Amino acid sequence: MALAPTLAVGHELPPLEKELTQRHIDAYSGVRTRSIHTDEAWARQKGFRTTLAQGMMSTAYVSEMMTRLLGAGFVRGGTMSVAFVQPVYAGDRLTVRGVVKELRPDGRATRLVVDVWCENQHGQKTAVGTASGLLL
Amino acid sequence: MTVPSMTEFTPLTYEALTIGEEFVSDTLLVTPEDIETYAFAVGDHHPWFSGSSPFGGAVAHPTFAANQALRLRHSRYVVHAGLHAKMQFEFLEPIRVGMRVRSRGRVIDKYIRRGKQYMVTEFVTEDEAGTPLVRGQFTQMLIPA
Repeated sequence: MALAPTLAVGHELPPLEKELTQRHIDAYSGVRTRSIHTDEAWARQKGFRTTLAQGMMSTAYVSEMMTRLLGAGFVRGGTMSVAFVQPVYAGDRLTVRGVVKELRPDGRATRLVVDVWCENQHGQKTAVGTASGLLL
Repeated sequence: MTVPSMTEFTPLTYEALTIGEEFVSDTLLVTPEDIETYAFAVGDHHPWFSGSSPFGGAVAHPTFAANQALRLRHSRYVVHAGLHAKMQFEFLEPIRVGMRVRSRGRVIDKYIRRGKQYMVTEFVTEDEAGTPLVRGQFTQMLIPA
């Protein structure tokens, strides 16, 4: 948790690895019929090769990475803006990455802005954006 | 004896959506079991979720209540299918175990891009006293029936 004082623009955050099983998706989304997340037949009917993870799960991964970095300065005072650019399927393995983009004054604190993204096992970006929090 | 008000659900269509229409979720009691289930779902078992934290007691994952907000439209519409396109959060205060939280939202835009239909909703998740905990907005693509 004491990483923050060493941070500078361009610093690469330790990546997170996430395996997305159907069981994780079920726990996240709640099992429902006629859901592209938990009903495989329905997902196929909608044109997907299998069930999809909710995009929101990737925001949780980014949140985990930022909380590891900034602790309370992300839980209270954090922000995130993410676009979901590729579907994430059950069985995919995501790597969550971040690179420090900016440090700027924010009141009495310093706000640290990070470019964040998730990529799948094929190296395709699935979510891209920024997240920020306070260095306390 | 008063008759309880009933919600009339209609299919969600681009045409049915009105910019400015508002949604309110049910209230959710934040239980230790819910926090644990969320931690399992996203594979994040931070010690603050189950024990003491800098905020005085156990807190939930910052994105814990995001689905309450994302599902606001389900409080009025039958949603055929959709894809989440964009998400923005501001984490203002931690969500603590034992809180009762509720999300309110308002449709702020709808548009068609490359033949796809989108809706944009701004939201706030609050505690029982109305203190904002999380604010944000999200963009959802509608998948027609």
